[in-house]
Amino acid sequence: MLNLLWLAPAFPLAGAAVLALFGSRFPRKLVSLLGVGSIGLAALVSFLVGWSFLASPPPGNAFLLPLWTWMDAGSFRADFGLYLDPVSLLMLVVVTFVGFLIHVYSTEYMRHDDGYARFFAYMNLFVASMLLLVLGNNLLVLYVGWEGVGLCSYLLIGFWYRDPANVRAANKAFLVTRIGDTAFAIGLFLLFTHLGTLDIQQLMQRAQSQWEPGSGLAIAAAALLLAGACGKSAQLPLQTWLPDAMAGPTPTSALIHAATMVTAGVYLIARTQALFRLAPPVQLAVAVIGATTLLMAACSALAQRDIKRVLAYSTISQIGYMFLALGLGAWSAAMFHFMTHAFFKALLFLAAGAVIQALHHEQDMFRMGGLRTELPVVFWSFVIGGSALAGLPLLTAGFFSKDLILWQSWAGPNGNIWFWLCGMAGALLTSLYTYRLIFLVFYGPPKAHVAARPGLAIKLPLVVLCVLSIVGGYADTPPHFGGTPALSNFLNSTLPALEEVHVGPITEVTTALCASLMFAAGFSLAFVLYYRRRVEHPSETALARFWSAGWGFDQLYDGVFVRPFIWLAAVNRNDVVDAAYAGIASAAQECSRVLRLTETGRVRWYASGLALGSAVFLAFVLLTR
Amino acid sequence: MIASDLVALSPLIVLSSTAVVVMLSIAIRRDHHLAALLAFLGLAAALASLRFAAAASPRRVTGLLLVDGYSLFYSAVLLLSTAAVLLLAFAYMERQQEHREEFYCLMLLAACGALVLVSSCHLVSLFLGIEILSVSLYGLIAYLRFQPLPLEAGMKYLVLAATSSAFLLFGMALLYSETGSMELSSLAKSYMGTPDPALGAVGWAGTILMLTGIGFKLAVAPFHLWTPDVYQGAPLPVTAFVATVSKGSVFALLLRWFHGADSTVSAPVYWAFVTMAIASMLIGNLLALQQENVKRLLAYSSIAHMGYLLVAFLAAGPLGIQAATYYLIAYLVTMLGVFGLMTVLSTGEEEHCELKDYRGLFWQHPVISGLFAAMLLSLAGIPLTAGFLGKFYVIAAAASSSLWLPVFVLIVSSTIGIYYYLRVIVALFSLPAEAGEREEPVRLTVPLEASFSLAALVILLFVFGLYPTPFWALIQTMSASLG
Repeated sequence: MLNLLWLAPAFPLAGAAVLALFGSRFPRKLVSLLGVGSIGLAALVSFLVGWSFLASPPPGNAFLLPLWTWMDAGSFRADFGLYLDPVSLLMLVVVTFVGFLIHVYSTEYMRHDDGYARFFAYMNLFVASMLLLVLGNNLLVLYVGWEGVGLCSYLLIGFWYRDPANVRAANKAFLVTRIGDTAFAIGLFLLFTHLGTLDIQQLMQRAQSQWEPGSGLAIAAAALLLAGACGKSAQLPLQTWLPDAMAGPTPTSALIHAATMVTAGVYLIARTQALFRLAPPVQLAVAVIGATTLLMAACSALAQRDIKRVLAYSTISQIGYMFLALGLGAWSAAMFHFMTHAFFKALLFLAAGAVIQALHHEQDMFRMGGLRTELPVVFWSFVIGGSALAGLPLLTAGFFSKDLILWQSWAGPNGNIWFWLCGMAGALLTSLYTYRLIFLVFYGPPKAHVAARPGLAIKLPLVVLCVLSIVGGYADTPPHFGGTPALSNFLNSTLPALEEVHVGPITEVTTALCASLMFAAGFSLAFVLYYRRRVEHPSETALARFWSAGWGFDQLYDGVFVRPFIWLAAVNRNDVVDAAYAGIASAAQECSRVLRLTETGRVRWYASGLALGSAVFLAFVLLTR
Repeated sequence: MIASDLVALSPLIVLSSTAVVVMLSIAIRRDHHLAALLAFLGLAAALASLRFAAAASPRRVTGLLLVDGYSLFYSAVLLLSTAAVLLLAFAYMERQQEHREEFYCLMLLAACGALVLVSSCHLVSLFLGIEILSVSLYGLIAYLRFQPLPLEAGMKYLVLAATSSAFLLFGMALLYSETGSMELSSLAKSYMGTPDPALGAVGWAGTILMLTGIGFKLAVAPFHLWTPDVYQGAPLPVTAFVATVSKGSVFALLLRWFHGADSTVSAPVYWAFVTMAIASMLIGNLLALQQENVKRLLAYSSIAHMGYLLVAFLAAGPLGIQAATYYLIAYLVTMLGVFGLMTVLSTGEEEHCELKDYRGLFWQHPVISGLFAAMLLSLAGIPLTAGFLGKFYVIAAAASSSLWLPVFVLIVSSTIGIYYYLRVIVALFSLPAEAGEREEPVRLTVPLEASFSLAALVILLFVFGLYPTPFWALIQTMSASLG
């Protein structure tokens, strides 16, 4: 059964190819069938593979499916193989299943769009690339998937390319992530030149046997991979592209910019965790980046008025939690949060899409209101997804996964009170901005006319994701609440369990209580501000504007990098280097002009040319012989 | 002369008797279709007879001609090229208000001369071959005798070719007086080898004078001045013939002459060839840069291509022969294709060969223009085409013989060359400037026989560019027969 693994990326890839080539000539029904069906089959395959993996675990709890030798030149050899272990299995199932739900949703959401087939071709290609990224047995295959998802993200952000703003957003996303990708590529070269392989498992073994913990090479390699992860996962300082990426269609935002692709950085670090453990300073940096990002993004989410941008900043903030967990060595906690986040954030985005479509593409929360009765399914989706995001205690998935991270941010060997406090503050802010959104959109007087109500293809995925956002948390419940950490145990064969070194004065119970308290505080504050007092206008203070603009990073980068570069380009308008080549060209033209004088058309000149040439050769040969 | 001698010479015999038959048929009844058909059948028969000649080879006939794998291979190539020209020429001649039938007679005789050249192993047969070829060409170039340009071109070619023949003949006399031999192989020994071939001043002078004569036929610099005028003036099929069959046969002769001996060329001759190669590549490509007439442009381009061929020619050993052969054949296919397309395009009595005549052609005749562009890209040496692989082999052969200076010039000058090929392609694909500038688009009918010929050339162009292996193996067998 495990040998069927290759079908998981093959179905979406085939779907993408067929749709790209012939999609524009197919009727919409067929396009939907192909686009959704291919992902459905991939999801089916991944369930079958997952079931077989759980029922009879392969030796070593890992399975390698070698497909072919990709390249073999001298000492360089790269195999093309798929590698399945608990981590990639989790990713595989989440990506295909959430991807499937989002594809179903898209059939209705995109039904009036001219680029219907194009959309599904891109989305299928995205899922194929993501699965390649997740399943690749060596870093080169992973890199192909990595660039593939980057490409699809670019294509989908700029999907409505007739609006220049969308194209700018797509370019921005592509360029900013490119910085990270370049670092990642350099990291690959470094790893290969020093360890002689790109196979991930071999690479980790060799790194552990050849490199001392804390050695310079390990730190450099891990830092380069971290830069790649930061770019893809929109972490500080490369986070600026994600809010603008909301220019794409909403299903895209749900699939790529919330549930799956942006967590590729998390996956990369988890996959290469052995390397990061050899580089303690880098691992600490991961935690610091995560903690800083989660706070800054949460503040920014608080000041947004565009419903999708709130969710975008919230995504950055939640991935910050995952990075915090990774940096602390709480690997399985990060993967757990990845899973629950995929469920509730996809849910929130899809629900937001339903709101936006119902209100004629209105995205400003301050022009919404009172939708609770108009769109009940969407309302309940938001309540459930938002509560999971904010961490409603004991009931929702987000609570369990966040609680695990919060506890380990104190208990782990890298943990300390500051990380714990950051996590707590983040929890407060999360709860506040989530309920701010819900109160603004669904309560108060209606401000906009509801034009269209969601149909079955939209409601069904919402309901399924609602269920998952609640039950997903029970995959891993903490022992002190009488639960079993099933997921952590499952992942343990790949990701080492966290050593709990700090025990008092903060305990698991206090953490859980504090987190619940933070949730309650955020909720009450939002209730008072946005339900009772019903703030009708966004705050216009300097701080709010600063947060709303994402802490001024765009302006900063604009001033430090973009403007000087444009200035330099303007100075070098007449390309200094090009002048040399232009000189060669004009010299050739000049030679040509002079040589043409020899073509007189006169026979006597031609004949004397014959004689002259002969004479020169004669003289040359007779003199040099 | 015994029977197997006759068998070995059968291609020549078939070809020359066909010329006689065509002439006789004209005497009985003038019929363009009949003459063309007879000529084509003659070529086909000559091609078929190569099989029987191959059975009798290798064989030396009368001390003048050597029929071996090499000469049979090149005979086949030249016969096929002639056939291609003939197919392309038929519709072109059909439009002319001349007596058209003698054209085929001359064409067959010229092919005869070319065949003599590739089998020649003796100064006498060399001269005979060159003269049979040249004299037929005088007639062919000036065939459209009521138009001023062909007539002028014919006269120019006559005067200059006669001059060059004088050089050739005088050189032969000097060489013979020094060495007492007219055998190419024994002559080759006298100026091959390092350090010091035993050849006096008279012998050296004779060699250089002979090279002048041959250089004129190949149109390599500095003996190239006649090329553009003759190319421009000659009727299109004849230009194609001059560019391909005439040059190809002379080059094949040169290749056999200098590569037959085992040792390398001595320094003075080597440097003479290097100079010719470099000068041809540079001058040819530079002159073509701003050329507005496509026929003249192709004339300059062919000068440059002869330079490239000389680079391969200079490379030592079998690799040099193979590379030169491959390149020559790629050049033949491409040049025939280009001129063939131009022939097909020039409807009416006047030829339209100015660059501006081709402007925006793509929008009227996309297929023809696409093929035209493919041929030009092959001349420029762009991958996927025969020209690219040919150039690749030339550079590989030259580099393996450490001919760094010629290789460097080759690369630089091909880069310059891309400019003017692209200029033509740009003209083809540019939007017609003003609607009023061009008259109504001409309805273009490509005659069946010409389209057959063009299709074969296009297929060869891509086969040689994509899958050279079987063909390369054939060339290797052929070059082995040269010893």
